[in-house]
Amino acid sequence: MQELLERKQGLHRTVLIVDDEFIEREMLGAMLSGLYEIIYASNGMTALEIIKKKKKTLSLILLDFHMPVLDGYSLLKILRSDSELRSIPVIVLTSEKKAEVKSLQLGAADFISKPYEAPEVIQARVRHSIELFEDRIIIHDTERDELTGLFNKEFFFEYGKRLNNQNGNMPMDALVLDINRFHIINELFGRSYGDKVLKIIGQSIHELVRQTGGLACRSNSNCFGIYIPHMDNPKDHLPRFISMIEDNLDDRKISFRIGIYSDDGNALDMEQRFEHADLVCRKIKNSYTTCFDIYNAELHSKELHSERLINDMDTALSEKQFKLFYQPKYNISDSKPVLASVEALVRWYHPEYGIIPPAEFITLFEDNGLIRQLDNYVWNEAANQIKQWKDAGFNVPISVNVSRVDVFNPRLVEILSDITRSRGIDSENLLLEITESAYSDNAQQIISTVINLREKGFKIEMDDFGSGYSSLNMLCSLPIDALKLDMEFIRNICDNKKHLRLVEIMI
Amino acid sequence: MITLDKLSEFGADVKDGLIRCMNKEDFYLMLVNKALNDNRLSELEQQIYYKNYHSAFETAHTLKGMYSNLSLTPLTVPINEMTELLRNGTDTDYTALLEETKTQFRRLCEL
Repeated sequence: MQELLERKQGLHRTVLIVDDEFIEREMLGAMLSGLYEIIYASNGMTALEIIKKKKKTLSLILLDFHMPVLDGYSLLKILRSDSELRSIPVIVLTSEKKAEVKSLQLGAADFISKPYEAPEVIQARVRHSIELFEDRIIIHDTERDELTGLFNKEFFFEYGKRLNNQNGNMPMDALVLDINRFHIINELFGRSYGDKVLKIIGQSIHELVRQTGGLACRSNSNCFGIYIPHMDNPKDHLPRFISMIEDNLDDRKISFRIGIYSDDGNALDMEQRFEHADLVCRKIKNSYTTCFDIYNAELHSKELHSERLINDMDTALSEKQFKLFYQPKYNISDSKPVLASVEALVRWYHPEYGIIPPAEFITLFEDNGLIRQLDNYVWNEAANQIKQWKDAGFNVPISVNVSRVDVFNPRLVEILSDITRSRGIDSENLLLEITESAYSDNAQQIISTVINLREKGFKIEMDDFGSGYSSLNMLCSLPIDALKLDMEFIRNICDNKKHLRLVEIMI
Repeated sequence: MITLDKLSEFGADVKDGLIRCMNKEDFYLMLVNKALNDNRLSELEQQIYYKNYHSAFETAHTLKGMYSNLSLTPLTVPINEMTELLRNGTDTDYTALLEETKTQFRRLCEL
């Protein structure tokens, strides 16, 4: 590219004149020698040798058709069939009308008639052809991803829009292909292997687009966009394409997933189609069983709802739209149940959607880390409530959730201690529920955090026990104050003696 | 010695020929002298004599390009006519056209 830019700035351009006639050769040379470096060849064979040697620096070939040894037609055919030489523009020198047409059909950039026109005309034709050639290369290099030869994202969308306009908005499907855990592939097998994988997938996509029509791009490091004419039954067609890529890759360690927006006649613009395809692709990111899926409106509606909730969260926190309800917990060891503590349950009073149950937003916030803000809010609200009850003469501990992401916050102990200290309440009144599944993530880390919390006086409860995969061995090593059995687990003890026996052992 | 004036008297379109040579008189005259030393007109005569019309066409085509680029009009006219007949492999009597070309070539050599 640098070399090309320098040549484009007029620093160095070379023109090869191929003609067996001395007079015509010299005449052309005289017309062009002040503008370009001129090389001469008196037959096609000599010219071919020169072209192969100077293929990187030749800007143009002026080629006569009637020559001994190897004529101009044959040379032009050789050049056009060679992937390295075909990009050098050729202007054919001819005195015959028929040859003009034939030369253009063979891929010549232009022709110059004999006897020659005025030098200014020939110079202009030469300049024009060189500029077109250089601009084409620059555009090609700019519009394409160097590694795969596919379009880059910007040109892809530009050409895709043109395609839509030219084809009268023919139904088109959008596919997003993403390589799973590509950074791991690069780390484990090296960048060159990662590049090889990208190239093979790029070639497979080229092949698909060649068969179906349309266009494709590499949209980011490990993600590809494919825009092809609508397939009636994508579920029937996709496995064939997936098999082709897998066969070409020949490496079962590499997996990928494809999200598809199948044209449903809704006349969405190209960007929207790809947003939908990308949405599907992200949705199946962690699926081990599904490598492609198709967009549907229900999914979209759910996604929009989720996005809205995420966007509304800051306002909800500042406007205290999250309300805490307290579910009492009774000590039933005596004949008369005694209130032992309460569990804080959060509900979202959304100004538009009304009361939103936690199932709708907790998982969502856990996925994107927003849960830390919500937990913090709940801890503070619960602490305020403990303080209010304390001031009214009641000592009622409140259980609050500590999410998995909180456990890995190195400031967790400090944050919780500040909350209780600032309100003058005892740490033991804030009961911290940590879900069972968190313990299996990084047992050592969580044990360490729990020990620190307990040293500060907090009580720890393991939540949802029985829903995950905790071992009894782990249960013994965990410093916890209470075990909350999962509802589903308890529900089975009436019918299942094994469950009943297990619960008895644990208690 | 050939000069531009003599070439004009011969009937060459000197102005046209000079334009193709970037108005470099010496360069133009050098190329005309090259044409004078070219013996392909004799080759053409032989090829026509032996009715080797394919080769004759190639030769005539070359001469046509040479003469027309130098704007040597008196030579261009008969050689053009011969080239078109030979392009189609026309089996005809080329004597008159050959003689006319040779005559004009001799005239040029005698300048």
